[in-house]
Amino acid sequence: MTLIHIQNLTKHFKILNRREGLSGAFKDLFSGDFRSVKAVDGISFDINAGEIVGYIGPNGAGKSTTIKMMTGILKPTDGTILINDHVPYTNRIKQAQIMGVVFGQRTQLWWDLPVIESFKILKEIYKVDQKTFDRHMDMFNELVGLKALYSQQARTLSLGQRMLCDITASFLHNPQVVFLDEPTIGLDISVKAKIRSVIKELNRERNTTIILTTHDLGDVEALCHRIIIIDKGKILYDGDIKKVNALFGAYRTIKVQINDFNETTIASLKNKLTERFGKDHGIIVAETEEFWTDMTIDQARTPLSDVLGFVMSNFAVSDVRIVEISMENVVQQVYDGALG
Amino acid sequence: MRKYMAVFRGTAMVGMIYRFGYFFAIIGNLLYIGIVYYLWKSIYQGRETLRGLTFNETMIYIALGSTVFFLLKTYSDWIIHYEIREGIIASYLIKPMDFQLYALFAVLGSTAMNIFAISIPTILFMIFVLKISFATGVGLLLFPLSFIFALVISFCIDFFVGLMGFYSESVWGISSVKEIILMFFSGALVPLQFFPEAVRNVLFWLPFQAVFHTPLMMVTKPDSGLATFIPMLAVQAFWTIALIVLTRLFYNQAIKVLRISGG
Amino acid sequence: MRTLGEYLRLYFIIEAQYIKARMQYRADFIISSLGMFFTSLVTLSVFWVIFDSVPDLAGWSLMEMVFIYAFYMLAISPMQILFDHFWQLRFHIQQGTFLKYYFRPLNMMFYYMSEMFDLKGLIQLVAGTILLIYSGTQLNVDWTFTRIALLLMTLFSASLVQISMTVSAACAAFWVIDSYPVLGLAWKLREFSPYPMTIFDGAFRFAFTYIIPIGFVAFYPSQLFLRPNEVTPLIYFSPLIGIGLFALTYWIWTKGVNSYTGTGS
Repeated sequence: MTLIHIQNLTKHFKILNRREGLSGAFKDLFSGDFRSVKAVDGISFDINAGEIVGYIGPNGAGKSTTIKMMTGILKPTDGTILINDHVPYTNRIKQAQIMGVVFGQRTQLWWDLPVIESFKILKEIYKVDQKTFDRHMDMFNELVGLKALYSQQARTLSLGQRMLCDITASFLHNPQVVFLDEPTIGLDISVKAKIRSVIKELNRERNTTIILTTHDLGDVEALCHRIIIIDKGKILYDGDIKKVNALFGAYRTIKVQINDFNETTIASLKNKLTERFGKDHGIIVAETEEFWTDMTIDQARTPLSDVLGFVMSNFAVSDVRIVEISMENVVQQVYDGALG
Repeated sequence: MRKYMAVFRGTAMVGMIYRFGYFFAIIGNLLYIGIVYYLWKSIYQGRETLRGLTFNETMIYIALGSTVFFLLKTYSDWIIHYEIREGIIASYLIKPMDFQLYALFAVLGSTAMNIFAISIPTILFMIFVLKISFATGVGLLLFPLSFIFALVISFCIDFFVGLMGFYSESVWGISSVKEIILMFFSGALVPLQFFPEAVRNVLFWLPFQAVFHTPLMMVTKPDSGLATFIPMLAVQAFWTIALIVLTRLFYNQAIKVLRISGG
Repeated sequence: MRTLGEYLRLYFIIEAQYIKARMQYRADFIISSLGMFFTSLVTLSVFWVIFDSVPDLAGWSLMEMVFIYAFYMLAISPMQILFDHFWQLRFHIQQGTFLKYYFRPLNMMFYYMSEMFDLKGLIQLVAGTILLIYSGTQLNVDWTFTRIALLLMTLFSASLVQISMTVSAACAAFWVIDSYPVLGLAWKLREFSPYPMTIFDGAFRFAFTYIIPIGFVAFYPSQLFLRPNEVTPLIYFSPLIGIGLFALTYWIWTKGVNSYTGTGS
């Protein structure tokens, strides 16, 4: 069932062309000289109920503009956007009832109040009935041990505890879609793992659609089945997360430890590879950590076994490691414009 | 010294960027002068002098006073409280700068900008639009010195109150009390001449009038003669030194507290 | 859509919790209250000092000035107690934390104002009431049923005027970075509300009656009780003025709220 339907969504912003200096600032007050910035440029996608989607892109890509339109606080310049068959911006308050939002950077709880009071207030705001409230609070307690935090003021919680409270709070009213913005930012690795499992469990339990915006690709890898990459207002990739790595073909990195490694080794290696595989071998050679040399190869051009065999017979190799290109590298290349 | 000048330039530039604020500050100033004009005209209501001041003199006192008072408002207490709350304080202590001097130069920078952007237009307005005449005399020569004393005293008081933020969360209460005491007893709300004799004698020795009343008298009645002004300057000088010493001691104390509790 | 009743109930729940939490900071409460009390005391002293030199101010006696000041204190209390959060608006806007107010199924102005309830403003309310009763008695004000109704009505309008002025000034933060001077201007203007409007002539009197009606915060209402025959007929329309100004303020707020999200990435 399609929960979120976005078609040809576009958002332009008018930015004043500012002029320099004191007289410039004065002239600006009367200026009609605007330029149009396309923050979001004709994007389309559909998201079904229960999906966990990673929505990523470099800063300024148009992510938050899209999210703002989905949450109804921004009106699109063109295109269609429907959440649960309703147009989000026509009624912000009604829209807010079916949504949950979590900001990693700041809490939505009441700072001075004990945690349980924040939850009780949210119960009133979202008109959650007592039975549902109790049921959810019990579930949250099972998941994160919420009862232990009840009497603590939000301001005294650690970052991890606060995030867990914020996340569970966003699910209190059984929203249809939850927007998570940087939910694990600044947290240590074990808390990150805990939060990811909590999110997964809540999604599984309530079939809530989750839209995750984050720069932490570990979150994305752990949680999302689907990933949408946006840059300069356009969608660059929308699909299965497992297939992202294949965006640039089948890349592998062979790491070798060469004995008697010295200043000439890298140059020698490069020359020999060119001799053997021709100028277009596409192998990127680099020395990474001490004594390790990386060769990143595109299997479509030069088969891995050939390269490995060649290097091992021409150099004294004492150790080998073969790694996949990480999603981080892929995404970085996408951000750097490798997809066009 | 150079790093402090950089701080001075920094706050001055910030002032230049946020120009809109000056526009409203000037409007606010002019409005205030207008209102005060009517108020005191009513108070005087046909009387020539009150407590030794003519209407013109009181007008200059209050109108110019509002400008001077604005210049002397350093907000250092609020700034420090803000920095404590946001946890930024620690970063200042790491820098190779004396925090107090840093705060002082920051204040000097914005004050310099304020003089140009607000005070001068206001004075021009008073001279050319309201047609208020300024007397001359030795007081005008002594004014700059008096003003500098007043600024340092005001800064020390504000900085002192700011440091209290290390010890207490009740910053609003303390700052407000400081504010109102300063405004009232420095003669910013009503010229000190209107206060009862006994109160005036006590006030003469307190730092409050050194902040405001003294420099203002130098511009309002500059011909009062050296005999009047030198004692006032002496009191100012005394308080300048005393407060610098006081705040310095408190500062060293407060830093220790900060180092222990971790900012 | 929530009814007014539902909002009131929600407000009560939120503030009850907020007050409970704040009461833990006992020292702060005491110091702030003392500060508030002290501020009012000193401002009253200004009158006392002035009246030490002159017998009356534009024909108004000291006790009458005290009455007007008491009315003023009552009129500004609701702004102080309920809308204090708006003094922080410019920080929330600049730091981006203002965004969180968009995401609840609540009216945003309600949500924003409900996050702060200024206890020390209650001191002002109490002090103002005491002062009003005291000066009213000294001036032999006849508190008939009509008079009391008028009192409540004019207090209601006066507080709306005051709230509108400050909140609109705070809204400048939506468009300007250094919006503090605008608030400062509103503050300066309000400080002159307890003075008789009769000291002004011409342009100022017009401005303070029709454009930025600080006259309605304390002076014009007080005339009803102290000098009924000098009253301007406009005073009976003051609720309209108050409500009208607040509607304008709300419009400004809405415009600001809509424009804020426009600078996204």
